[in-house]
Amino acid sequence: MSDGHSWHSDVALEEGRPAYLPRGLKRVPRGVDELATEHLVLNMGPQHPSTHGVLHVLIELDGEEVISAEASLGYLHRGIEKLAESRRYHQVATLLDRADYVSGLHTETAFALATEKLAGIEVPWRASWLRSLAMELNRYASHLVWLGTFGMDAGAMAPFLYIMRDREMILDILEEWCGSRMMFNYVRPGGVFADIPAGLDAKIRAWLRVADSYLDDNDALLGGNEIFQARIRGTGLIDAATALAFGMTGGCLRASGVDYDLRRDVPYCAYGELDFEVPLGVNGDNLDRYTVRVGEMRQCLRLIRQLVDGVPEGDFTAKVPKVFRPPAGESYAAVESPRGELGIHIVSDGGLTPYRMRLRSPAYFNLAIVDEALAGGLVADAIVTLGSLDIVLGEIDR
Amino acid sequence: MWGLGVLKGFGITIKNMFRPVITVQYPEQRLPIPERARWAVHAVFNEDGTPKCTACLICVKECPDHVLRVESSTRPEGGKHIDTYVYELGACMMCGLCVTACPYDAIEMSHEYELATRDHSDLTRMLLFDVDAASPRRTPREDAAPAPTGTEAADA
Ligand code: SF4
Ligand code: SF4
Repeated sequence: MSDGHSWHSDVALEEGRPAYLPRGLKRVPRGVDELATEHLVLNMGPQHPSTHGVLHVLIELDGEEVISAEASLGYLHRGIEKLAESRRYHQVATLLDRADYVSGLHTETAFALATEKLAGIEVPWRASWLRSLAMELNRYASHLVWLGTFGMDAGAMAPFLYIMRDREMILDILEEWCGSRMMFNYVRPGGVFADIPAGLDAKIRAWLRVADSYLDDNDALLGGNEIFQARIRGTGLIDAATALAFGMTGGCLRASGVDYDLRRDVPYCAYGELDFEVPLGVNGDNLDRYTVRVGEMRQCLRLIRQLVDGVPEGDFTAKVPKVFRPPAGESYAAVESPRGELGIHIVSDGGLTPYRMRLRSPAYFNLAIVDEALAGGLVADAIVTLGSLDIVLGEIDR
Repeated sequence: MWGLGVLKGFGITIKNMFRPVITVQYPEQRLPIPERARWAVHAVFNEDGTPKCTACLICVKECPDHVLRVESSTRPEGGKHIDTYVYELGACMMCGLCVTACPYDAIEMSHEYELATRDHSDLTRMLLFDVDAASPRRTPREDAAPAPTGTEAADA
């Protein structure tokens, strides 16, 4: 045989990389050469129910133990960044809703902030406030999805059903407010698309009255359960240095003990005025990620209380010309999405559409850690650890 | 004590059995749809049955998915005549940008949400067909946007 790939002889083989090795796998499974106990390469996904979408993870197994893992991406790629180059600035939000479809308002806001920075638009205070309120509701809904699916990854079915019911209450509020349950198209450069409807604050307050007890119930059902605790304690360890090296952000980073939250450290919208704490973990195991996110949900309720009580008077949007051409230049704005630092980088050539838009999606960086987090653990823990990272494939593959 | 949390969990599950039911027996029962909810785009008519649309094509340029198509001709006595106003429902993402952009309130986001169909051709709708367009001189909306003109319309 030639020294090329067995199927494509014109493709040269990498040094020390046999042709039978699946693409994307980093190393030759140990043990194959000696023909001792062979390692099993398991394709988890892209249609595995526990990968939260169309994630494909190649896991190399020695019996039950994970030797290495590698995420193979791109199954949900829709070319959002490229499409944005042919959309005018107020049309891009429709694409970004579909990037992170669990918390669309954060992506929309990041884009609006970047555009406003570029064009020097002053956003009315009421608009910033409404954005924050809508984002916090969205964050809570997103964390509820995570809480439910994380429990389900560990085998807890009932909490998922209760949590989805609780989430429905928020989605109802957001539908009444933004016109859609998940594809909001609400935040526009300059402000928001429409004011908060009359009477919605009463509805939010009514939900807040029960939200605490529902969260307590769900937390007791999952985090209070000793079997669940035993499953998630000490697995999926990510130490602070590794987390930082991989560019992790959000709850995953804070669970490793790094105190970094954009809402407090680089305040945007109304967050500079608000009073909240940033929960931190110690070890960076699955239990820490659980506690940090549940703690964040409690802070979220605290923020929503402050936000709904203090909606200021004013306009809900600044005057933005219909034919909007920001000056040539570039800008970057980031928000703390439920998954971490979600940034939008816009390059403008002064035209009607962005010259280039780049989405820094936090889950992409958080997912990059799979090899470090899964290796050495058991395959059953791999699923729990993947769940604890709170990934959204729409945002990773864009 | 080990196992107390598990017992407490059972308690919560039992408590949840007595929480009120939130599901409804669709299609006999339906949940109300909020005022702002966005579903299929409908054309809006005046009381006398004439369309409000002036065939100004602003909505066509505004739609990010290019699902609206208006073909119009000029009447011999002046004014515009809408030959077809085609709406590709299957490709519409119900973003509402066309409705926001229309200066004459001639289309609306309806509450028609049961959009499933057996026939693919049902997803291409004729919102208006062979009617005279409204005269644009009829008062446009207060906050209406000026129609993009000349070069701006061209590179939009
Ligand atoms: S009047 Fe409204 S619906 Fe008719 S073409 Fe103009 S923008 Fe479209
Ligand atoms: S709702 Fe959006 S996608 Fe649908 S026709 Fe209007 S602008 Fe186009």
